[in-house]
Amino acid sequence: MLGFIAFSVRRAWHGFWHNGLMSLAATATMILMLVLLSGLIILRTGLEATISYVQSEVQVVAYLKDSATPQDVAALETSLQAMPEVSSVGYLSKEKAYQDFLARHPDEADVINSLPTNPLPASLQINLADPNNYASVATYLNKQPTVDHVVNIKQTVDQLNTVINVLQTGGTVLLVVVGLIVLFIVVNTIRLAVVARADEIEIMRLVGASDAFIRWPFIFEGALVGLLGAGVTIVLLFLGQGPITSFLSDYFKVLPIEAGATVGRDIALTVLGTGVGIGILGSYLSVRSYLIR
Amino acid sequence: MVSPETSDSKPSQNRRPDAPDAPDSEPPKPVPTRIVLAMQGVTKSYPNGRVALRGVDLMVPEGDFVFLVGPSGAGKSTVIKLLIRDELPTKGLVLLDGRDLGRLKRRDVPKVRRRIGVVFQDFKLLPNKTVRDNVGFALEVTGARAKDIAPAVDRVLRVVGLTGQADQLPGQLSGGEQQRTAIARALVHNPRLFIADEPTGNLDPVISWEIIQLLLRINELGVTVLMATHNAEVVTAVRKRVVALENGRIVRDEVGAAYHRED
Repeated sequence: MLGFIAFSVRRAWHGFWHNGLMSLAATATMILMLVLLSGLIILRTGLEATISYVQSEVQVVAYLKDSATPQDVAALETSLQAMPEVSSVGYLSKEKAYQDFLARHPDEADVINSLPTNPLPASLQINLADPNNYASVATYLNKQPTVDHVVNIKQTVDQLNTVINVLQTGGTVLLVVVGLIVLFIVVNTIRLAVVARADEIEIMRLVGASDAFIRWPFIFEGALVGLLGAGVTIVLLFLGQGPITSFLSDYFKVLPIEAGATVGRDIALTVLGTGVGIGILGSYLSVRSYLIR
Repeated sequence: MVSPETSDSKPSQNRRPDAPDAPDSEPPKPVPTRIVLAMQGVTKSYPNGRVALRGVDLMVPEGDFVFLVGPSGAGKSTVIKLLIRDELPTKGLVLLDGRDLGRLKRRDVPKVRRRIGVVFQDFKLLPNKTVRDNVGFALEVTGARAKDIAPAVDRVLRVVGLTGQADQLPGQLSGGEQQRTAIARALVHNPRLFIADEPTGNLDPVISWEIIQLLLRINELGVTVLMATHNAEVVTAVRKRVVALENGRIVRDEVGAAYHRED
């Protein structure tokens, strides 16, 4: 068994280097396809980060009655924070609302200053864990005696959901389509490399080599092409890490993109798994057509 | 010698149509162990409808030297493909050392192929391997231990007279030397049956003679040889058993015969 593995690996190694041009073509194709695939995965990661950031920004705003005492507000805040749908609660006092208004509309200072009292209500800004749960929070707020009214965000949430669905479905479809194209092209390139050695397979069959002795060297060779392709792709991605990260934060205009260690490791593992996987698959399928008789 | 009438009236080829279920009525003949190769009522038709062999019967005892002759398309290649179990018979039996090749399990096919040495007109050598490695390849890919390969290769290279060229690549060899390399490779498993498909087809007459002499010597060493050929001069001169195929039937089977019918 050990001898067989040694034989297969040795033959795979020889096969790879003795058919340099074909191996080069297969490896180059593998690299291009893996770069394409990982580029798409990186884009999709950026998209997902953007989506979850936007979702985290969805707020339910509840305007409070002027009669609400600080104790009432504190009690309401506490009860809201206890709700699982709520991720955080912020309080905007009447004075702060007034300052914000002045800062945003300096030209209208005269208008608001002409009023006898500050007309702006205090409010609670409630960030949601999942924007789709806004209704239960809104219902709860509407029942509170200290709440004047709750801003209806149903339409906003619905529109946001539509956009998110389109983006996520589109991203997944694109990834699947490109994945299939990558699979098809790489398998066919490896097939060409195997077909170029049909004579060798024929001789092996004629001299009485068993299927395993014919198949496994090619499978190891396919794995070698995948390993090499994935290695080069990972090095390329590593070198391009800086530009990619700045591109992503420029393009998506969102600060908290974590193109950090975990994303890098996930992509590296995906590239490695995909490369070796389709290398093996390509070899297996290509050799199989010679063995079925 | 043999008249066309008598040669055409071999019992197995012209079964009487009035005999009930004629093909199955014969009791199965016990196959003597000394028979290396037996074909019994073999018919082969290809998926495209072409019938390559029609009811072929052939017995080759151990130590025989058989020329398989006939025009192109007569079925010689099909006989060889059936013998190396590259194809299966549509009807009938192909037995190698008493084993029915048609009922062979897939994983046993390689083992049977190791008992058959086969060479072709186009040599089928690997261009980037030396003579030694081409011959050793047959052992390497059948799981031989590394330390057993070199002595076995040296032995067959001595038989075919290529010891001096062992480290050359096929491209550096003459056609005859390339064919001798292929013969050495076919011999390295100590085959029971040696099949040569037009081995001299690409070679000039002098070199062809060298190859025939080599095959005769292999035959003298006890290996049964079956050689398909168009080379009338060689067949007639050697005077061995001649099996002639025409349109998928054996039309002549004579010992000590010439390439063409002599009557």
